[in-house]
This record gives sequence, structure tokens and C-alpha cells, in this order.
Amino acid sequence: MTMTTDTAKRRSSWWEGLLRPSDQGLKGAHFRRPGIAALLIAPQLLILLFFFFIPSWKALSLAFVQIDPFGGRQIFVGWANFTKLLTSESYRDSAVFTLWFTILQNVATLALGLILAFATSMIIKGKGIYRTFILLPYAVAPVISGVIWAFLFNPGVGPLAQLLHAMGIAWDPTLNQTDAIILVTVATVWKHICYDYIFLVAAMLAVPASLQEAAAIDGAGPLKRFFTITMPMIMPTIFFLFIMNFVHGLFETFALIDTMTKGGPAAATTTLVYKVYQDGFVNLNLGASAAQSVILMILAVVFTLLQFRAMERKVNYQV
Amino acid sequence: MFTTKMALRVSAAAMALAVALPATAAPVQIDWWYSNGGKIEEAIQGLISDFNASQSDYQIVGTRKGNYEETLAATIASYRVGQNPVILQAAERGFMTMLNANVAVPMHQLMEDNGHKLDWDDFIAPVASFFKVDGKVYAMPFNSSTPVIYYNQDLFAKAGLDAPADTYQGLDKQLHQLKEAGVGCGMVLANDYYWSMLENFSTIGDYPWATKANGFGGYDTEYVYNTTPVVDQVTRIKSWIDDGILKFAGQGMLPEQLFTNGECATYIASTGAHGTMDGITGFKWSADFLPGDEGREMRNSSIGGGSLWVMANKTPEQIKGAADFIAYIGTPEKQAWWSEQTGYVPITNAAYETMKADGFFEKHPTREIAIQQLTRGTPTDNSQGFRFGNGNESVAYLLEEMQAVWIGKKTPQEGLDAAVTRGNQVLRGYEDLYGAK
Repeated sequence: MTMTTDTAKRRSSWWEGLLRPSDQGLKGAHFRRPGIAALLIAPQLLILLFFFFIPSWKALSLAFVQIDPFGGRQIFVGWANFTKLLTSESYRDSAVFTLWFTILQNVATLALGLILAFATSMIIKGKGIYRTFILLPYAVAPVISGVIWAFLFNPGVGPLAQLLHAMGIAWDPTLNQTDAIILVTVATVWKHICYDYIFLVAAMLAVPASLQEAAAIDGAGPLKRFFTITMPMIMPTIFFLFIMNFVHGLFETFALIDTMTKGGPAAATTTLVYKVYQDGFVNLNLGASAAQSVILMILAVVFTLLQFRAMERKVNYQV
Repeated sequence: MFTTKMALRVSAAAMALAVALPATAAPVQIDWWYSNGGKIEEAIQGLISDFNASQSDYQIVGTRKGNYEETLAATIASYRVGQNPVILQAAERGFMTMLNANVAVPMHQLMEDNGHKLDWDDFIAPVASFFKVDGKVYAMPFNSSTPVIYYNQDLFAKAGLDAPADTYQGLDKQLHQLKEAGVGCGMVLANDYYWSMLENFSTIGDYPWATKANGFGGYDTEYVYNTTPVVDQVTRIKSWIDDGILKFAGQGMLPEQLFTNGECATYIASTGAHGTMDGITGFKWSADFLPGDEGREMRNSSIGGGSLWVMANKTPEQIKGAADFIAYIGTPEKQAWWSEQTGYVPITNAAYETMKADGFFEKHPTREIAIQQLTRGTPTDNSQGFRFGNGNESVAYLLEEMQAVWIGKKTPQEGLDAAVTRGNQVLRGYEDLYGAK
């Protein structure tokens, strides 16, 4: 008796579900003989072994040593790499910037993606053209778009920077941290809107037309329908994108930052991932870099777990 | 991708040749990774094709792997799987990393073992001393440079000026005169300004950058540049930024473009930028000695650029070929050609004499500045060079802290203090790893 009440109580808060695995959704169906399952996932596991487990093991083993870059000499330093990191001002600054940067670009990308997806759903003629245009930035390699953005907003020669100067804005991302942060954030959002957009458009298409029509007949306008019908129906997608945007902001903005600001000025746009690169590959401080990778790996695992838990609850596979 | 394809094509061609001419042995391929682009890369490829044409036993294949940091990182990664090149060009700042890693054949030994007699005493003093440990040379100086000041003669004439002043204090006045004369940008600095404006300010002024003869005296060296007139130098640079005299190029363009397009009146950079300067057509330019600090005797400046290392984990034939190649490009004729093409300093007195005899410096007087500046006076503990473990990392922190000064987040003293504190942590880490050796 008490057990069931406990369970019921726990079920009552939505986030509690994220902390435990479930048997809903996909997990409802599984192989009775584990041998076949193992055989089927073996190729994938082999890839993971080479691209995840071995590198992770390397990172873990490097995180506790101080090592010569060529690997000739190393000394065990225990937790020193971690304590140095956690007490260093530059790592804290980088973590704070990364936090605000990921939140900001996440919310902005989602909001703009939603507006664009909503707007295209209203369009009757030439939907395809609009969609193609909005998706274009995704086809540009991050390095190329970074170089173009850096040039466009270069305070000396960039045409868009000149425009800002003409408007009386003293734009200079080389000497102004706020400008540099704005530049990186805007470029990241621009680059990632496409991703959110395509998912949101697809999710909106899956909202049953009958519901929309019924609401329309009852006199609900497009905005009302959007907030009361579409939004709740596409909530799983929004949550999925929310996680994906975090992952993107954290891990996939390297090329943009490297080409636009090099993490500067004065480390103002150094994300945690960019710092791993700088410490490891430029400064050749492999121990510190490995310790940072381990911290990031833990973060990534947490995000992935959260996402899986969320997906298996929200997705309903009707077989 | 491209290089793989090319390599495939080359090896396919080599195989076809081998089939067609079974009697001829294929030349031993020797990979060389370097970091220079543009005009300098053309000269590097020129040296390679000359060497390949001069003999048939070895084939040097030169590849640009990115900047110095990227090339070193690529070499380290490839070394761990045994795929590293035979010859590596590493920055002067990476000397300790390469030396202590113990992965290269010591240069003096390489030359002896392969029958090349090099007169190490004939090498230009501060160039050779940089790569010497206990009197033995460990790396071959290759593209050796030192900073000079380039200036736009037309803009100087506009302000009624003739040439840059001998001291930074005098230059400061001139930059303000230029501004009053309507010159929008007085100065632009190359990205390695920590080297030209701060480190060389110390060497030329005979101020200590660190204790223990700038690291030559032991691993327990400590940075002290936050207690010397370097503080005034940083304050001066900051005032130029505030007065709108000094400009930064920012991402998306190269600093030298602000000089070559005629916008900025002065450009402080490596003598290796001469190759680019020769292409200027819009205005008259010249170069001059780097200014010093007022009231100090001017000493020699310090070197920059790269040196060559031959990796020890290769076959004896490859190592022999690399030794032959290095001896070949060290000959006075090749050195003179290289220096004339690029603006880098000739590394031996013999090469310098060859260039003098050719009358090269009469036609190109600014090319002689670097070597005169490097050999000025007797090198002191403060001017013979720098020897710091993980030098790259300390410099990265110095740059970061200087940016904090430029944007007004820290005062010059605060910025330098922070850079010294962080730099000393790097030195202590290095001492932990290698000090007991």
C-alpha cells in the first residue's frame, strides 16, 4: 500500500520522471534472446570503442598526470589538474560565459525558429522557396560562415561594421568584449536557426488538421490556435530542441569562435570547449586539457541521459 | 583530401616508374613539415626543388601544416603513431619543448655523423646562441628574423618627418605629429607584438625579462617583466590605443594589410615581412631599426622565426638525406639566395659576406637592418635570448592579459602582474616535470 502511494506521489512531479529509467515507448518491445541483440549492435559498439571508449580512457588517464607533449616523460599529479582548474579565475570566467552564451543562443534560436516556422505554416504559395532560404545557412560550413561574419563585422573593413559606425554605434569586437559576445551569439543563432526550424516545421505538420479546423470553426484565430493547440502538441519537439541547442552551444561552436574572435578579446568569448583546444593544442598543456575534457564529458553524458529520458516518455510509437 | 590524392598520384607514378625502370632505385622520400605561407612558402619550395634536382638519392617533400602551433600539434599527434615527418620546422619558442622531448637528433651530432663539417663559430652570434646548450647546437636556425619598424615615407613627409625616432619616447611625439597632420592611423602591430614591442624592448634596453639570465641559468627562472620599464612601454601602447593612434586589424584581415594599403604610417613586424613589402606600389616605404628606451644603450634585439629539427625515429637513409638537405641549404650561396628572397637574416657570416660582395644591400639597404640590429654590441644575460619551458603557454597568457589592458579592464600594472603570476605557474609546472632531470 505504502509503496503505491509513494510511487503516485513521485509521479506527481514531472521532472522526477527524468531521474529514473522507464519501460514505456521503445523499451516496451525488446528481443527475448539477447544474443541476436548483441550481434546487431556489435558494429555500432565497435565504432564506439574506437571513437568514444578509447579516447575517453585516454582523456581520463591524461587528466591525472602532467606530461611532456611528445609523451616521453610524465608525472602523476593526482587531482591537481582538477583543483588548479576549479580554482583558476580564467576557467570560472569561461564557465560563466559558456553558461550565459548557451542560454542566450538557446532561447533566441528557439524563439526565432518558432516564429519562422509559424510564419511559414501561414504561407499558402511558395512555401518551398521560403523553406529553402531559411535552410541555406545550414549548408555553409561553420568555418566559412565564421570567416564571412568576421569580415563583415571587421571594424576596419567590414561593410556591416561601417553601417553600424554610420549609425553612430562604436562597433569594435577587437576592443570591446560586449561587441565580441554579441557577434558570436548572433552568428551562432543564425547558423543554428535552420536546425530548429526544420524540426519545428515538421512537428507542426504532424499536428492533426482536424483539431485546427475544429478550433477555427469555433472562432479561434491563428495566434490563439498556435498557443492552445500547436504549442502543446509540439512540446516534445521543443524540449528535444532545447537540449540539442544546449549541446550545440556547448560543443559545436568551436569553428565559429576560432574564426571570428579566437576566444578574445581577453578571453571574453572563450567557451569551455574552445579552452580545451587552446590549452591542449596551442599551449600543449595536455593534463589540464584532459581534465577539462573529462568535466565536459560528464556534462555531455548528463544532457544525453536527460534527453533520452525525456524522449522515451514523450514519444509514442504506435505499432 | 587533396594531399592524400596527390600522394596517391605521386606514389602511383613512382610505381609506374619502378616498373618501367627496374634498374634505378627510387629516391628515399623525406617529408618536411613547415609553417610559412605566401612568398616565403614559394622560397621554401624553391630550396626543395633545387635540392631534389641537385642529386638523385633523396626526394624532399615539403608540406605546409598550418601555423607554428598547428604544425607542432600535428607533429606530436603523428609522432605518437609513428607517422611524423623527418624534418620539422618549429618556432624558436618551441625550443625547450623539442629539446626536452628528446625526439630529435641533436643537430651537432647529426652533422658530424653524416660527414658535414659546419663551422658553428661562423653563425651569427645571437642566432646560434639561441639554439646552443652547453656550447652544442641542437637545432638548425632556418628562418631567423628580428623585428624592425616599417614606415610610410609619404605619410611621414606629410607630417614634416623624415624617419622614425630612435626611442619610443621620440616615436610617441612623432605619432602625435602624424595625427595632427591628419594621418588616421599612426601604427599597426603584427600579431606577435609581444615579441617586438615587449620582449625586444627588454632585450634592446638590457632589462631582465626573467631571472636566471632569462631561463638560460636554470629551470627555477621566474618572470620579472612586471617590475621593469616594460610597464611604461605597455602604458605607452595603451595611450596610443586610447588616442586613436594605434589600430588593431581584428579578425578577418591581416595587420600588414593596414600598412600595405597606405592607411597606417608605421608597422612593427619581423624583417621576414620584407617579401610582402616589396609588393607595395601605392606609396614609398622604408624600414628602420626598432626604437629603444630613452637614456639606455641600445643592445642587440632577439631572434624569432623557426628552426629545423630532424626526428630520430626515422630510417638511417632518411636521416642522412635530411642531414644532406640541411647542410645544402646552409651553404653561403643558398643562405644568401634565401635571405634575398624572403628578408630573413642570413644565418652565417659567410652568407652575409656573400650578400655584401654581391652588392645586395646597396640596392636593398633595409635588408641589412636586421642583421646589424642582431649583432649590435655584446649580448648580455638579458639580451642573449629566452629559454622558458612551455613558452607558448606563457605567451598565450601574456597576450590575454594584454588584451585586458587594451580594452581597459585592467591597468598596465595589473595586466602585467597577472601575466607574470600565470606565467610563473607555467614555469613551476615545467620545473616539476623536468627540473629534477
